[in-house]
Amino acid sequence: MERFKAAFINEIEKIYKKKKAIVLVIISLVVIALGQLMITGVRIGLGVRGASSTEFPILVLSVFVNTILPLFVALVSIDMFAGEFSQNTMKIIITRPVTRLKLFSAKIAAVAFFAILNLLVVMILSTLTGFLFNSVSVTAAGLIRIVVSYLITLIPVVTLALIIIFFANIFRSGAASFFLVIILFVVFKVMEFVFPQYSSLFITSMLNWYNLWLADVLPFGKILRQLLIMSGYAIMFFTAGYYLFDKKDL
Amino acid sequence: MEKVLEINGLTKIFKNGRGIRDIWLEVYRGDIFGFLGPNGAGKTTAMKIMTGLMRADRGDVKIFGYSINDEFEKAMERVGCIIETAESYPYLTAYENLRQFSRYYTGIGDERIDEVLKLTGIFKYKNEKVKNFSLGMKQRLGIAAAILSKPEFVILDEPLNGLDVEGMVEMRKLIKRLAETEKTTFFISSHLIHDVELTCNRIGIIFDGKILSVGYTDDILKDYASLEDYFISEVERNGKI
Repeated sequence: MERFKAAFINEIEKIYKKKKAIVLVIISLVVIALGQLMITGVRIGLGVRGASSTEFPILVLSVFVNTILPLFVALVSIDMFAGEFSQNTMKIIITRPVTRLKLFSAKIAAVAFFAILNLLVVMILSTLTGFLFNSVSVTAAGLIRIVVSYLITLIPVVTLALIIIFFANIFRSGAASFFLVIILFVVFKVMEFVFPQYSSLFITSMLNWYNLWLADVLPFGKILRQLLIMSGYAIMFFTAGYYLFDKKDL
Repeated sequence: MEKVLEINGLTKIFKNGRGIRDIWLEVYRGDIFGFLGPNGAGKTTAMKIMTGLMRADRGDVKIFGYSINDEFEKAMERVGCIIETAESYPYLTAYENLRQFSRYYTGIGDERIDEVLKLTGIFKYKNEKVKNFSLGMKQRLGIAAAILSKPEFVILDEPLNGLDVEGMVEMRKLIKRLAETEKTTFFISSHLIHDVELTCNRIGIIFDGKILSVGYTDDILKDYASLEDYFISEVERNGKI
């Protein structure tokens, strides 16, 4: 466990020092600001109440989780595997007394940490913006809905990260992995609309599963089904990704 | 004598047919073992398998009695190495790089980091990002990283690559000093025969993926004018077979 912790801290430090996290926070800020501007614009121009204070964070989440967050999770994950393989920096950790399984898990944990941190930052910023600029209608229930929506979004994001990491272990080039992942993401998104009856199989549709949690009466059956599908994906891609990572000759 | 490294029937064949075949080798505590061989003989392949970077087709490597296949962490606990090229994270400073590695060991703090930076002569660049380093400085940092954890066994693949004459002399001194004062065992590959002759007390020659001979430098130099003569005669003798 000590060595897993060491590897985990190292990965976090690397993400931080590469400044990707800061760039993401800045972009998130811009998105929130743009979103707020739009809503204010709609309200002033059309006289329509765009979103209330507790709806605004959910609106931001729906944009954030389908665009910027997966993009940055892909960037960070690919950098961590294909990037390190191609820059030859992977071997500096592999020759240290830490098994590849611990290393692989620590890297995934670091991606998850990165994702949750981003979700939390966006949640706090958008909630504050919502309160500052929109009609005040704060309720405890509204706040809980926000927190739950943001937190449970971590599950589909990590599942998606595991799929991306699997591909980042197939290719030695970061650019190739990134290209493939983007194409897959777009294809999945299109397939969701072409074959709506199978949409739960396309993992990208799960990014919106927080919607299920917003219903007045929780659809337990649906939530459980989606959770199981995501777990299935996660287990398969973790195993396959680890297999590739473990077998790789450097 | 305590065996530090034990290589038993190691085989790894690449798709192009090259690789290493059935290598057996033992390195004892206190040895400065020189691993000599021409380009493409399989030096790096053998060293990559020893340090877990590659998986062998057959055979096993034991370090301090622990198999690298079954007990990797225990085997590598007291090992420091540079394989092929000294790599470091370019976006981190020299200190941050070493700090990253130190986390895998207990009792390696900032003091030890300063100590290895001074030993390798790059202390004044401690807080500079590695991307601005020259090849020689990166090599020195690599050596600092390899000896950071006070390893009892150090594996160095072409450690003098990129170093200037002064650096080479210093490195040779450092290796000898560590061998004498800390009783560190070394396994050094090199194509610089003269350097191996000056540094190593035991030598193994690898050619075409096979070990041709292993002997003590002193014994070899009794029969041959220089290590170069020995190397050429060994390779020629085996080339004819």
